[in-house]
Amino acid sequence: MSSKSPRRSIGDLSEGTLGLLMLLPAILLLCLIVVYPVGRLMYISLFDWRMSLPNAVPAFVGLEHYIYALTDDPKFWDAVYNTVLITIITVPGALVVGLGLALVANLPFKHRWPTRLALLLPWALPLVFAGLIFRWFFNYDYGLVNDILQRLGFGKVLWGTDPNLAFFTICLVIIWKSSSFMAMILLAGLQTIPRNLYEAAKVDGATSWQCFWKITLPMLIPSMVVALVFRTITAIQTFDIPYAMTGGGPGGTTETLAMYIHKTTIDFLDFGYGSALAMLMFLVSLGATTIYLRIIQGDKE
Amino acid sequence: MLRRTVTTGLAAAALAAPLVLGALPAAAQQTTLRVFIGGQQRPDVMRPLMDLFQQQNPGVRVEIEVGGATSEAQQQYLTTVLTSRDPAIDVMLIDVVRPAQFAAAGWAEPLDAYLGGTDRATVLRRYLPGYAEAVVVDNKLMSLPAFADAMFLYYRTDLLQKYGLQPPRTWEETVSHARRIMAGENNPNLQGLNFQGAPIEGTNCTFLIPFWQLGGNLVGANNRVTVNNDAGRGAFQFWLDAMRTHRVSPANSAEVRTDDTRLQFQNGNVAFAVLWAYGWNLFQSEQSQVRGKVGVVPLPTFQGRQSATCIGGWQWAVSAFSRNKPDAAKLVQFLASGVASKHLAINASNLPVLPDLYRDPDVLRTNPWFEAALPVVITARSRPVSPRYPEVSEIIRTNVNGVIAGTKTPQAALTEMESRLQRVLR
Repeated sequence: MSSKSPRRSIGDLSEGTLGLLMLLPAILLLCLIVVYPVGRLMYISLFDWRMSLPNAVPAFVGLEHYIYALTDDPKFWDAVYNTVLITIITVPGALVVGLGLALVANLPFKHRWPTRLALLLPWALPLVFAGLIFRWFFNYDYGLVNDILQRLGFGKVLWGTDPNLAFFTICLVIIWKSSSFMAMILLAGLQTIPRNLYEAAKVDGATSWQCFWKITLPMLIPSMVVALVFRTITAIQTFDIPYAMTGGGPGGTTETLAMYIHKTTIDFLDFGYGSALAMLMFLVSLGATTIYLRIIQGDKE
Repeated sequence: MLRRTVTTGLAAAALAAPLVLGALPAAAQQTTLRVFIGGQQRPDVMRPLMDLFQQQNPGVRVEIEVGGATSEAQQQYLTTVLTSRDPAIDVMLIDVVRPAQFAAAGWAEPLDAYLGGTDRATVLRRYLPGYAEAVVVDNKLMSLPAFADAMFLYYRTDLLQKYGLQPPRTWEETVSHARRIMAGENNPNLQGLNFQGAPIEGTNCTFLIPFWQLGGNLVGANNRVTVNNDAGRGAFQFWLDAMRTHRVSPANSAEVRTDDTRLQFQNGNVAFAVLWAYGWNLFQSEQSQVRGKVGVVPLPTFQGRQSATCIGGWQWAVSAFSRNKPDAAKLVQFLASGVASKHLAINASNLPVLPDLYRDPDVLRTNPWFEAALPVVITARSRPVSPRYPEVSEIIRTNVNGVIAGTKTPQAALTEMESRLQRVLR
C-alpha cells in the first residue's frame, strides 16, 4: 500500500509539474552557482566596500560606481576599447584559422591522428602557460623570435614594449590558442555533412571551390554559430594571455576589462567598484549572447 | 583473503600505536612558525638565522615559505591570505611602503605588548631614524626593521679605468662616460646605463629620483598633488634622452624589471646600473662575470642640484591572524636584532638597520662601500605614505612605463598622474 501511493501520485502529476520537478535539481544548482553570486555581486556594487578597511562599515552609494565608470573613468573605457578590439580581431581570426585547420584535419589522410593531435595540443595547454611561453618567445634580449630575426640579418624588434606590436602579438597568441577549439567544433560539423551531397555535385560538374562555397560553408553555419557564441564570451573575458605576456603594459595599452576588474578587486581590494565593473562586463556578455541566440532562433524560423 | 587483510591491518595498528602515543606529547609542545619571505630576499641566507632561533628556543620550529620575486607579487599573495583571515602565516617580511596599509586593514599585530617590559622608544632608538619612524603607524608598533635599502649607482671599475674616468657625480657625467665607453668598446651588447622601466614597484623610484632632484615634491601643501610641473617633465625627459638621444639606455627599458638589471650587469653587459644594495653580494659571487670589477657610489644628481635617492627596505611583521603570536613576536625581535642584521649584511649585502654596523670591520670586509652608504641611507626619501598605496603605486608606475615605452607623452602622463593621485590621496 505504502509502496504504491508514491507511484500513483507521480502518475497523477500533470506533465508540466513533472517536468518542473525533474528540472528542480538543475534549477537549484544554477541558483547556487549563478543566481546567488550574481545577485551578491550586484548588491556589493552598490556599496563603498573595501577589503583594505575590513572593519569599516560599507557605505551605501547607490549607482555612484556605475556613473563613475561610465562617465568619469578613462581607465574603464580604455579597458573596454582593448577588450572589444581583441574580440573583433581574435574571434573572426580564430574562425578563419580554425576552419582551415578543420578542413585539413578532415582530409582523407591515411593517418589522421597527427593532424588531430596537433589540433588538440594548443587547446589542452593552460592559458597562462601559453602566455608565458610566448612571452619568452617574444622577449627582446633572449627571445627565439628576435634571435631568428638577427640570424636572418634583421634588427631586434620591440615586441613587448611597442604598443601596437604588443597588442598584435597578444592577438596572435589568442588566435593560435583558440583556433583549435574552433577547429574541433567545426570538424564535428564537417563530419555531419553527407558525402552524397559532394558526389552529386561532382556529377553535376562542380569544382571543389564551388563545393566549398555551396555545400561546406552553408552546412557548417550552425556549428560556426555555436563556436562563435562560446568564443565571443571567452574573448570578452580575456585575461590570462595578456596578463602573462605583458601584464597590461606598455602603459596600460593591453589591459583588458577582466584585468582591470582583477586589479581593482585583488590589488586595490576595492570590492565595491570592482563589483560594479564586473556587473558591467556581465551585461556586455549577456548582450552578446542574446544577439547570437536571436540569430540562432531566426535561423530556425 | 579477507582474514589475511584484517590480520595485517591489526598488526600494523598494533605496531603504530606506541609510535603515535609516543609522538603525541612532543607534538603538543612543538610550535611551528611559518615565515613568508619573497624569492628575491635570499631565503637561503635567512635559513641559518631561523636555525639559530630554533636552537635557542627548543620546541619552536620555523618554516620558510618562499613567495614571488617582486614586491607586488608578494603583496597580492599576502592580501589574499590576510583578507581571508588565514592563520597559515605567522611572520611576514613586508616592503617599507606597506605598514600604513597593514595598519589600516588590521593585518599586522601591534608589537607593543610583546616587548617584554621595554618601552617602544628604547627599542627603536637603536635603529636608523628613518626606519624607526616607518614602523610606527597611529602610535602603534606595526613591525620591526629587517634591513635598509636605497638605490645606488653601480659601475664597472675595469671599464672606467680603461678609459681613465672617475666615478660620476652628475647624470650629465654618467651619460657622457657611458657614451665614451660604448663608443670605445664597440660591443653591440654593452649597455651604457641600465634602469627599471617595467610596470613594477621599483619603477616609481625611477621617476621619483630625478623628480626630487629637480626640486619636485609629490604631495605639497594642503595635501595637494604637484607632479604636473617642470620637475616632472624634466624627470621624464632625462630618461627619454638617455634612451633616444644619447642611446646609452636600452631600447627595451620599458620591460626591464629590477632583477633584469641585476642579471644584465652580472653578465657583464652594463657599464652603469641604477639598482638596490642587494646586487653587490651577487656581483661578487662565483657565477658573476664582473666579480672584483664592481664599484658603487651614491646616485648622481643633475649639475648644481641636490642629491636624492629612494628609500627602500623591508620589515618583519606578525600576522594579526597568527595562532602563535608570542612566539612569532619573539622571532621578529630576534630577526630585527644586531646579530641578524649583521648576518644579512655579510651574506646578502643587505644594508643594516643599525647604524653601528656600518662601521663594523666584519661587515666592511665584505662590503667596503657600506661606509659611504650610511649618509645615503640616512638622507633617502620616502615614497608617498598612504593606506591606499597599491593604487598610488599603480598610477605612477603605469604612467612611467607608458612614457618609457613611448605610448604616452610626458605631458599626458603627468596630467593623468596628477588628477588620479589627487583622487586617491585626498
